[in-house]
Amino acid sequence: MKDLLQQLVKGHGGFVELRYHKRISNSFMAQKGRVDVANHSVTEGVGVRALVGNAWGFAATADISEAAIKRAIQEAQQNARALAKARAKGELTLARGRLSTAEFTGPGFDELMAMPLADKLGQIVSLERKLAQASQRMHTARCRYNEIIEEKAIVTSDGAACSLRLAQPELSLTAIAEKDGERATGQRGAGVSGGWNCLLAHPTLTDAVEGAAKTAVDLLSAKYPEGGQKTVILSPAVVGLLCHEAIGHTVEADFVKAGSIAQGKIGERVASDLVTMADSGRETIAGYAVGNLPFDDEGVETENTVIIDKGILKSYLHNRETAAEFGVAPTGNARAWLFNDEPLIRMRNTYLLPGTSRLADMIAGIDDGYLVEGAGSGQADANGEFMFGTGYVYRIQGGKKTELLREATLSGIAFDVLKTVDAVSQEFLWDLGTGYCGKGQAAKVDAGGPYVRCKITVGGEQK
Amino acid sequence: MSKHERTDDIAAVASSLERLAEIGLNTAKKLGADAAKISTGASFEKRLVVDNKEFTLANSLASRSIGIVVHKDQKKGSASVNITNEESIKHAVESALALAKYSVPDPALVFATKAEAPKAKHLDFLYEDKLASLDLGGMTSEMQETLGRLGADPRLALERYEMSVNVSFHALASSTGMMQSERQTMASWSFMGMGRSDDEVTGFDYDGNFSFTRDDILPRSLADADRFVKRVLGLFKPVRCPSYRGAVLLSPRAVQELLLGMVLYHAGGRQVMDGKSRWDKSVGQKVVSPRLTLTDLPHDPRFSGATAFDSDGVPTRSQTIVEKGVLTRHLHDCYSAKRCHATTTGTAGGPFALSLSGGDQSLESIMKSHDQLLMVDRFSGNSDPIKGDFSGVAKSSRLFQHGKDRGSVTETMIAGNFFAIADAILAVSKEVEIVSGGFASPYVLVDGVSVTGE
Repeated sequence: MKDLLQQLVKGHGGFVELRYHKRISNSFMAQKGRVDVANHSVTEGVGVRALVGNAWGFAATADISEAAIKRAIQEAQQNARALAKARAKGELTLARGRLSTAEFTGPGFDELMAMPLADKLGQIVSLERKLAQASQRMHTARCRYNEIIEEKAIVTSDGAACSLRLAQPELSLTAIAEKDGERATGQRGAGVSGGWNCLLAHPTLTDAVEGAAKTAVDLLSAKYPEGGQKTVILSPAVVGLLCHEAIGHTVEADFVKAGSIAQGKIGERVASDLVTMADSGRETIAGYAVGNLPFDDEGVETENTVIIDKGILKSYLHNRETAAEFGVAPTGNARAWLFNDEPLIRMRNTYLLPGTSRLADMIAGIDDGYLVEGAGSGQADANGEFMFGTGYVYRIQGGKKTELLREATLSGIAFDVLKTVDAVSQEFLWDLGTGYCGKGQAAKVDAGGPYVRCKITVGGEQK
Repeated sequence: MSKHERTDDIAAVASSLERLAEIGLNTAKKLGADAAKISTGASFEKRLVVDNKEFTLANSLASRSIGIVVHKDQKKGSASVNITNEESIKHAVESALALAKYSVPDPALVFATKAEAPKAKHLDFLYEDKLASLDLGGMTSEMQETLGRLGADPRLALERYEMSVNVSFHALASSTGMMQSERQTMASWSFMGMGRSDDEVTGFDYDGNFSFTRDDILPRSLADADRFVKRVLGLFKPVRCPSYRGAVLLSPRAVQELLLGMVLYHAGGRQVMDGKSRWDKSVGQKVVSPRLTLTDLPHDPRFSGATAFDSDGVPTRSQTIVEKGVLTRHLHDCYSAKRCHATTTGTAGGPFALSLSGGDQSLESIMKSHDQLLMVDRFSGNSDPIKGDFSGVAKSSRLFQHGKDRGSVTETMIAGNFFAIADAILAVSKEVEIVSGGFASPYVLVDGVSVTGE
């Protein structure tokens, strides 16, 4: 396909980008002894982006014949010309960056392709049964599996010509326990760039059946944490969520241009000097993170982009267009969900770098606070205000981890919270591999980090 | 791209998709499925994007899809593809059957019978030739006028404004004899942005709407733009809300997030079936305050979800879900109905157009009813549908003291329990708003909410 696209991209006026994308998605969900979802889907086609003068046009075709792709190129160029009439600005330029010519096959691709659907489904059904039998208190056991297997070829009229094959499986277990009408939920889940064996080796899935069941049962008798401003230790999953939702989105250059809180803050202190944060498409710290990509959907090689260096804001996340506008190199953050989506600035693996403290010492340093485990859903605002849910909480009293408490909602202004960070652990984990980011289109992302001690608002009851 | 090619395409595609559904059914039968359901779809979309008040992308997409569900030996598998030739359909059926083979037997698997799914009456308002023929140039003109309103105040940082016009057709057919089809034209638009001045960035907000007809696009989008601008610019110089426990006023958006979602969860046939609903034995009983009446109106052109049939192919109908606090029915699709020994309510994939009835007090009088009142406009947080507990941030929300607007609030969290607040509704406004074309709701004053602010 790459060869065909290389032939077709030549000879047009202006810039043309062709992206072939085939996605196979297999999704299974077993619960309460049933298989509610056993689905196989294939989406395939070519997306065309054309820059004519100062305007972008986009078109896509599910027909991957030479004639259909040529028609799509013409349509994208016509769309661009139609748009150019409504635009006031002058020339639009693209930063060149390092355009890739790589042919990449990700780890686990061949393994996952070769494994029969029936084997995967059989293991999901089996895991659900084990979870259902893990406790007499079990009301609902649920096991979900989803895998994305994709092939891409990206060719641009200015020199990118690259292709990839990726496998991204994910697994989650949910246990709902019940006692005297009271219910509580325990969850374990992980997603990886890799094959089936890599997925099952993820640290979060160690003793996943027992862990999910035990959490659910233990939470049945747990209280809620009290609301208010607290000293807390955030787990790697929660730190990852904070990095992604509350900081990462505000430094996406399209959002910066619109006026996010990060606008104009390059070179300023935005966090404690213990905080160094990055977004990486490269294998950084651990090779299994879901956002590992050798190049983005503009064909630009990815990199490890340091966003905050020892508390100082260093970089935004760019595509080729915003990089030219800001006078920097593109960071390889342009991503599209399907062939018929245009690339947008998206994160990949977003993380806080580990520090030098030990978790045990961080706990010992708290007289009255919480250790917050497990990330729930999260949202953040243009001004850095964020909210996210968590799985469960441990009370810390007198330097010791004590009572288990139910889930909490955390909120704050991101840069304010990061300025309160006074300890960062050596322990590190990628722990948002089951996550999807939404920004008009979905994107498979990962995030993680060390344990981090800070001050944050915990939602809860007022007396 | 010629607009005429597109409109001609959709007419041709409409008949071809029904034929495609038949091919899918025949393939499934030939390859050994006991029963099958096929859904086919085609759409032609034109889309324009404005970033930072400047047109940035013109987009045109044509797509097709076919989805196949098979039952074999009381086991289920499904597959979908976006390439709709016979080879691709055959491969999809084979994949669905392969999955069914290794699935778990379920005697309740069922497709709608012909008696349950007679041919649905077409909703003529869903399709308009004039809108179907709107091209990118025409869309640009409509958007430029609205953009003028959005761009008038430089403090509005408009991150994105999009409009799309979609002409779509979909058909459903099953081996039980069900066959439905529907075509639709829809223009939809959305605004996203925040306020930004020299020294302040407000919270982010969004709005949007739709139209089934071309002539409604401009008046509606102008009104939406005015409302959006007013709301965003009202977020500057926020105040800290005092912490308290008591009454809060929920805007229509917050009603949907905090009340309607929970009502639908516990009225849902799937939750009843799985023992997750607290209202499994409550049909005919009071479940929430008598001030609440909730109806689904799938044939009402004011709602973007309007449709003649559900995803099982069963014709939809207007029906009350809660009447003066009493649960009138559970919402069943064919599967949950069979599991619960009930009948389908034609709400698979729905409900489609929810309307919460207005009350008897003016919004102004409700705002004056308390010395201190947080008006929650959006809820960004988490809720536990089983226990009913919720906790999160009050977004785009405002503080009222003695009926006077003291300004928007920042860093304000709310927490409470759905069952408690739904039972303790203090007032429902006469004023009813349709939010983004999705649902209609009044403002609702609830009690017993924890507010954590200053």
